Amino acid sequence: MSKLTVTKPKSTWTSASNRKVPTAGSIFRTTFLLMMTFIVLAPITWFVLSSFKDLTDLSARPPKLFPSRWAFENYSEAFNAYNYTRYFFNSVFVTTVATFLTLLINSMAAYAFAKYNFRGRDGLFVMTLAMIMIPLQVILIPIYLVVASLGLVNTYWGMIIPAAATPTGVFILRQYMLTIPDELIESARIDGAGEFRIFARIVLPLCRPALAVVAIFSILWRWNDFIWPLLIAQREELYTLPVALALLNGQLVVPYNVVLAMSVMSIIPVLFMFIFMQRQIIQGIAQTGMK
Amino acid sequence: MPYVFIAPNMLIFLTFIIWPAIRGVYISFFDSIDGRNFDYVGTANYSSIFGDPTVASVARNTATYVVFYVIISTVLSLMFALVVNEQKFAKGFFRAILFLPVMLSPVVVGLIWNDVLDRKVGPLNALLEAAGGGSPGWMVEPKLGMIAVIFVGVWVHLGFYSIILLAGLQGIDKSLLEAAAMDGATRIQIIRLIILPLLKPTTLVIVILSTIHGFQSFDFIYTLTGGGPLGATTLIVQYIYDRAFQSPIQYGLGSAAGVILFLIIFAFTALNFLVGKKKNAL
Repeated sequence: MSKLTVTKPKSTWTSASNRKVPTAGSIFRTTFLLMMTFIVLAPITWFVLSSFKDLTDLSARPPKLFPSRWAFENYSEAFNAYNYTRYFFNSVFVTTVATFLTLLINSMAAYAFAKYNFRGRDGLFVMTLAMIMIPLQVILIPIYLVVASLGLVNTYWGMIIPAAATPTGVFILRQYMLTIPDELIESARIDGAGEFRIFARIVLPLCRPALAVVAIFSILWRWNDFIWPLLIAQREELYTLPVALALLNGQLVVPYNVVLAMSVMSIIPVLFMFIFMQRQIIQGIAQTGMK
Repeated sequence: MPYVFIAPNMLIFLTFIIWPAIRGVYISFFDSIDGRNFDYVGTANYSSIFGDPTVASVARNTATYVVFYVIISTVLSLMFALVVNEQKFAKGFFRAILFLPVMLSPVVVGLIWNDVLDRKVGPLNALLEAAGGGSPGWMVEPKLGMIAVIFVGVWVHLGFYSIILLAGLQGIDKSLLEAAAMDGATRIQIIRLIILPLLKPTTLVIVILSTIHGFQSFDFIYTLTGGGPLGATTLIVQYIYDRAFQSPIQYGLGSAAGVILFLIIFAFTALNFLVGKKKNAL
């Protein structure tokens, strides 16, 4: 793309990069993108700045962009006067255990679908995919009744197990496992390796990229999930962060400034993940069209 | 041996999806206020869904929300994808920024916009007042509440749909575009006559996905408006939730609403599958 290509027609697709004078098109583009950037970032920035305001600043009219005094005590109060540590631990625990469980059982199922021939395989695989059509929201009431009858309300397992088997995870892992040559598994068998050993020592390590994608999506979803823990965690000591934030926000006794500080802290882990895993996240969505 | 591998996954599907789904259909023909005692009521729940004024308003709200959410999401994500695709400078940056809200917890998204849209101390109304536009009660007036909920819904998911469309754009053969440019086609012509038609299957996927997401919306609305003002932003999922956890508790009615939501989602998922098949065949 050197500047010597002046012979090209002026307003074409390919000449966009070597034009010096901004055209109507590029002005429109830049304005549009800057506007979008503003619409995304401005509310988030405002919210983060709000979390450093004291209650006087928060009710000031007209509102102030910057706090007149940086109220760091909003953050310390979240720990000292409220149970932020507890909610944070609950979120971390549920997210971690649920993600491990999902990886384990999804990859096991995926392995069976990809590498075994058995009666009912295709039917069961179609059934697995069909589970996408029954999202939680649709069976909210009966699933709650089932979980309640099993005594899982107000337990960590109640939050973790029911959603641990994901059709998307099985699908992604199965597609990946199909690319592993059968000879590899056969030769391990000949060498006398047991089936679980082959799965754990040969197949799983080869699936690392697919496992990473499933793990990332599981972590993001579990960390941000609201409706399921809202149903199951009815006792305050089991609240995950989203549940705690939503319910505390509705209470008049909890100062709004503390809710703000807690909210900001709750998004930090996700932001880090986004910064470091952006490529995998975006590729994963582009390939599967799923969250 | 393979059965051992699939057993845990299948057991969970059976216990926590398939069994509840069957139970849900069954319960929808009963009336229950405690989830233990059930009175058979025939199809009364279904007829009250189509007759009850509260449910009618929930249906209206959901329809309004989904229609505007789908149209605005599709148009804006198409625009964004086309613009970013042509962008040379800071392309990755803009893409990442737009994607940022997808990563946030919907609960926090609701809190963020609740803060920004506050009638008295929110920055948006401060700007509007400075510009002489008064201070609209975003969370006070039913119509404005719905507008706010649609806007925030789009704000959350726009990056998600754009990513899928951008992937679709990558799939378009560059030589086609170059050939058109050689023949003297303008960029607008290229977009209108080549890119948009070729992007049609992906766009259709966006329409279907956003329809499904639209019907499932719940969490950010819970902290943004809580379904108010005056129930104006209560959508179907919140209605189902409320029938189990807010008075009047009506498990049967909530389950019937769930069955109807399932039929809607089933139809669109099936459609998505058919479109996807056609897309791969091309």
